[in-house]
Amino acid sequence: MTEPRFQETPPWIAALQVVSVAAIWVFVIGISIWIIHLMRLSQTLHDVPSASVGISIVAIPVFLTGASVLTYVFVGLRRGATPSTAEGRGEGRGAEQE
Amino acid sequence: MSAEHTVRPELGPTVSHDLSERDIDVLLASVEQPGSAFRVVTTVLVLIILGAWVLFSRQILYGLGVTGLNQPVGWGFYIVNFVFFIGISHAGTLISAILRLSNAEWRRPITRMAEVITVVVLAIGAFHPVLDLGRPERMLNIFTAGRLQSPLLWDVSSISAYFMASTVYLYMPLIPDIALLRDRGARPRWLYSFMAWNWQNTPRQREVLERASNIMMILVIPIAVSVHTVISYIFAMTLQPGWHSTIFGPYFVVGAIFSGIAALMVVMIVLRKVFHLERFLKEIHFAHLSKLLLVMSLLWFYFTFSEFLTAFFGNEPAEIRVFFYKFTGPYAIPFWGMVVCNFLIPVVLLSFRRTRTIPGIMVASIAIVIGMWLERLNIVVPSLANPRLALPSGFYIPSLVEWGMFVGGLATFALGFVVFARFFPLISVWELREGQETAVSETAERVASYLPDRLENAPTGETT
Repeated sequence: MTEPRFQETPPWIAALQVVSVAAIWVFVIGISIWIIHLMRLSQTLHDVPSASVGISIVAIPVFLTGASVLTYVFVGLRRGATPSTAEGRGEGRGAEQE
Repeated sequence: MSAEHTVRPELGPTVSHDLSERDIDVLLASVEQPGSAFRVVTTVLVLIILGAWVLFSRQILYGLGVTGLNQPVGWGFYIVNFVFFIGISHAGTLISAILRLSNAEWRRPITRMAEVITVVVLAIGAFHPVLDLGRPERMLNIFTAGRLQSPLLWDVSSISAYFMASTVYLYMPLIPDIALLRDRGARPRWLYSFMAWNWQNTPRQREVLERASNIMMILVIPIAVSVHTVISYIFAMTLQPGWHSTIFGPYFVVGAIFSGIAALMVVMIVLRKVFHLERFLKEIHFAHLSKLLLVMSLLWFYFTFSEFLTAFFGNEPAEIRVFFYKFTGPYAIPFWGMVVCNFLIPVVLLSFRRTRTIPGIMVASIAIVIGMWLERLNIVVPSLANPRLALPSGFYIPSLVEWGMFVGGLATFALGFVVFARFFPLISVWELREGQETAVSETAERVASYLPDRLENAPTGETT
């Protein structure tokens, strides 16, 4: 069957991709800060801090793992692209198959 | 992607050699040739959703008085639908992750749809407690003054985590298919280019994606189980009759998976018909899923029987009031309707080969979806209507606003699927190709590894 030609990524989209990774981290760090805030609030109010600590220990690592995995994928896919296309010069996948 | 093989052999270009061009055209038809039907369906669904919001605007103006909620029944349709939709969300990521983890090769055309259900339904379900607030803007108070020891906030945390994990889990296996669309020049080009992350199907990229998918696959299973367990805690952590039960966690998880599989079957059957996917979603897929559904039906009945027998045998007055409110009282119809829909219909239809056909499975699945919604109604309302206080039993009749938001929620679910199908393939092209190229030999090797070793190949010492 006919091979579709690999489409290069325009620079502005590459910039948008970097911004999206940054946004994911802002989101995850924001959630972590929020959970820590609630934990401190429960301590201030003497309001069963143990439950808050328990939830935080589970929730924060889950968010951090998710963001780390996404970052790993995004960085890994960029690095794993063939050099010519990653720099926006060559044929990409076609070149790799040759 | 297999959990056992970290690096695949060279799979070649983004487009398969094994799937014919016609196959790929069929799989991508909803994206490349959406047609006018897409616009019509989208318009109808948007109108339904707008209609629901118009009805809801009365609640914004006049408060919860426009609903059927009252004293003592303070939770109604909104919380019922919250539990119902979150339960359905277990169809996707959990089932998909378990099937991938167990190398069930028949999963390949199914997993994408299941994962989409999770993400769409989770968003809808998580929104329902906000509707129930009466003053929805007060939801923002949880950011400043939330109480983490409240099971309600555990829900916020676990649902947020599940939503994030499910979205990532849906997105990662989509990347190769997005790259395929990008290379075929599908529009909007910037979207596919943005979401494909320079995917060129190089060995390094495949290794990265496979490793990341394996991590998410492992991560998502305990999160999914925790979500519905935590939802059950909203009820079980109170001392309300009918709620304060130690088996509520697993009971909710079983019910969630049960309703999730049923919803998945309904979606699969409808989309199979609409997009002419008969060659990809074959009867064997429905046969496997229907056996799973049958097992879940029996398991659900076992939990229900156990739950109600314990309450009945204990003979505690408050529990007995709730018990008979469901068995013979005002909720007898929803209760027995639930038993018929969740147990009798599926067991009869799915136990026999003659009725285990696609129409039979469709009837059983729709019955289960209705039955599981009734189950949520039976859990929420009767306990609230019969509190431990010496009060007459309450009653709850949902208002038009609540019905409107329920219909709006269903329309949003359909719209989510339609929009997804407009931009992404509903069946993973990449996974089908991988199946055709590598899974047959891998499965043969795996089966061979289960069998006893030949004597001449056995390690020294074992033969003596």
